Amino acid sequence: MKERVLVANRGEIALRIMEACERLGLDYVAVYTPGDEQSLHVRLPRAKGKPCYRISSYRDANDILAVADEAKCTAIHPGYGFFSEDFRFARRVVKRNNPLIFIGPRWEVIRDLGHKLNVKKLAYDLNIPVIPGTINPVYNELEAEAKAEELFLWQEERGLEPPRILIKAAAGGGGMGIEEVDELDMVRPVFRRIRAYAKRLFGDDGVVIEVCIRDYHHLEVQLLGNQFGELVHFGTRNCTIQSIGRQKRIEIAPGFDPNYTTYPFEAERVLKDIISHSLKLAAHVGYDSVGTWEWLVTRDGRAYLMEVNTRIQVENEISARISRIKGREPNLIEEQIRVAFGERLGYRQEDITFEGTSIEFRLIAEDTKKGFKPLSGVIKRFHFPNYEWLRVRTHVPQDEPYRIPTEFDPNLALGIVWGRDTFEAERRGFKFLEETVIEGQTAKGEPLRTNIDYLKEKLPEILKFL
Amino acid sequence: MALDNQKINQLLQSFRANPYRIFVVVTPHTGYLREFLVKEGDEVKGPAGKWLEKPGSPLFVLERERNPKTIRAKASGQVAKINWELQGRFVEAFTPVLEIKHTLTQKEIIAELLRKILHIVTAPEKARYFLSPELAQKIEKAGEGRVVVKPGDELAIMSFMKRETPIVHEGPPMVVFRVFFARGQMVDQGEPLFGLCLEEERPYVEKLIARVKEEWPT
Repeated sequence: MKERVLVANRGEIALRIMEACERLGLDYVAVYTPGDEQSLHVRLPRAKGKPCYRISSYRDANDILAVADEAKCTAIHPGYGFFSEDFRFARRVVKRNNPLIFIGPRWEVIRDLGHKLNVKKLAYDLNIPVIPGTINPVYNELEAEAKAEELFLWQEERGLEPPRILIKAAAGGGGMGIEEVDELDMVRPVFRRIRAYAKRLFGDDGVVIEVCIRDYHHLEVQLLGNQFGELVHFGTRNCTIQSIGRQKRIEIAPGFDPNYTTYPFEAERVLKDIISHSLKLAAHVGYDSVGTWEWLVTRDGRAYLMEVNTRIQVENEISARISRIKGREPNLIEEQIRVAFGERLGYRQEDITFEGTSIEFRLIAEDTKKGFKPLSGVIKRFHFPNYEWLRVRTHVPQDEPYRIPTEFDPNLALGIVWGRDTFEAERRGFKFLEETVIEGQTAKGEPLRTNIDYLKEKLPEILKFL
Repeated sequence: MALDNQKINQLLQSFRANPYRIFVVVTPHTGYLREFLVKEGDEVKGPAGKWLEKPGSPLFVLERERNPKTIRAKASGQVAKINWELQGRFVEAFTPVLEIKHTLTQKEIIAELLRKILHIVTAPEKARYFLSPELAQKIEKAGEGRVVVKPGDELAIMSFMKRETPIVHEGPPMVVFRVFFARGQMVDQGEPLFGLCLEEERPYVEKLIARVKEEWPT
């Protein structure tokens, strides 16, 4: 029977999954909600005669599974967000009367690594460094205050001034449900607020309290495993340039580049360490898909494991851009699909080499000067250049006006540039940003702002400890 | 006030001439439309009871993931234009299934009038809206039409693109006469959220409501 994949997502990731399916010779089916009718993730498959089903929500598991059955799909790709890290959904997909392949890790792995505190516990047991803080979720104000006091003291003893802690939703992610606190008096009100927010958004009001590490870089390790225990990495990424809500804006692979800038520590050793720690944890849990291990690296070269993302990430393509498997650039979504269908990798770590630097820019309709306020409206002109070193991933059509749906983040496109070294990638990045035009109007009739100027301003800061 | 007496008379006249609204009933989600439970011309009832605890009349059965679900009327009226060819077929979410010709109730006519005569605070974006907890508490205590908001008071919270933005009252102190959305409801941009009036306008609005109640049977 020919495999048929239900693409249970929207926007650019849905398009990339469809592209990967086509490259693998697999059939696919798209879904969409009414606000997304104009999106290319609906228009393009329709134009190719692929089935597209209107569903009530991307978060409605019953709708997605009903469509999967109706369209005779054999697998579901959850993309990122929505159901991608929901172990209950993954379990349901594989255990129902009409089981399907879930293109992602085993549900047990998602369950064990999907919760930050579980990861912290596992890492702690394996001697992998983690950020000092709570190991279990906190539900009690008194306990939260006591832990906060302990962490403030811990920082003062180490001369970390002024001491600060983070109060986070244990089930949160993507920068949501995190607040910084620098006074003990503020712990209780912030704890209450985060708890209420976590309950509302994630259905779990557990809260994590940990030291707020400020002077750091956010690094990621890209891994790929399969059911046969094969495990490889595709290097590191640096995702330090983020909005004030801790959402990524520019990502670079590799994670550090000593040929581009100097570091107050041995950068190659740190990268090697975080890769080796990530592989250790992945091997321990039998990781069997693509996944990202997120790290904080401080100015003194200390690395702390932050969390594991058991899904394909927005920024996976920059890792692919700098990787070569036996000389050829991989497509990590293709690899993810292949391993989900039970294939062997067909290569080993020694077959993977790295070449150049890749930078990803997230083009977003937002007012960066007003706290990165997301904007909605209509895009009337969208133009980007065409170069062999550039890839633009977008669901926004260039041939007709596009209304940005208000139900989702106003992400418009990903611009992915590659250069033989970081200097060249940076120059090309500027060229891409200079030549890209996004024009439109907000609901109030004002010109639609994007973050392009912000990206230009931040580009010289990549990879550097400033 | 936004309208004078003559315009209000015209508005009431238009309700008398055509006291109907057509409600298109759509599938709330995907599934197989197994069976119609009504035919054209049938009278159906919407939910009733103080808390709308009595469900509306059954319209059709939609089966998804082997769970049959009876879809019920959300408005009273007469069934019209049934899309019979959907029977037995897999349908997408939001597929139009039938229409209900609904006769406007006294309450609905008052609501429509209030939308025309009050100072309306509209939704700045298509988003989910929540009444501000303080205002909700005050309204619960004193009742609609009794709470005054001052400039800077929080009216609602707009949940938009994963962010929560407060909607704050601007202008002179006003009475919150009507809240047009339910908690967490998705409201389209430009649709009314609140109907406000000045304290001195309140007797006029109340008089108008009394007039509708008198002229329009319950």
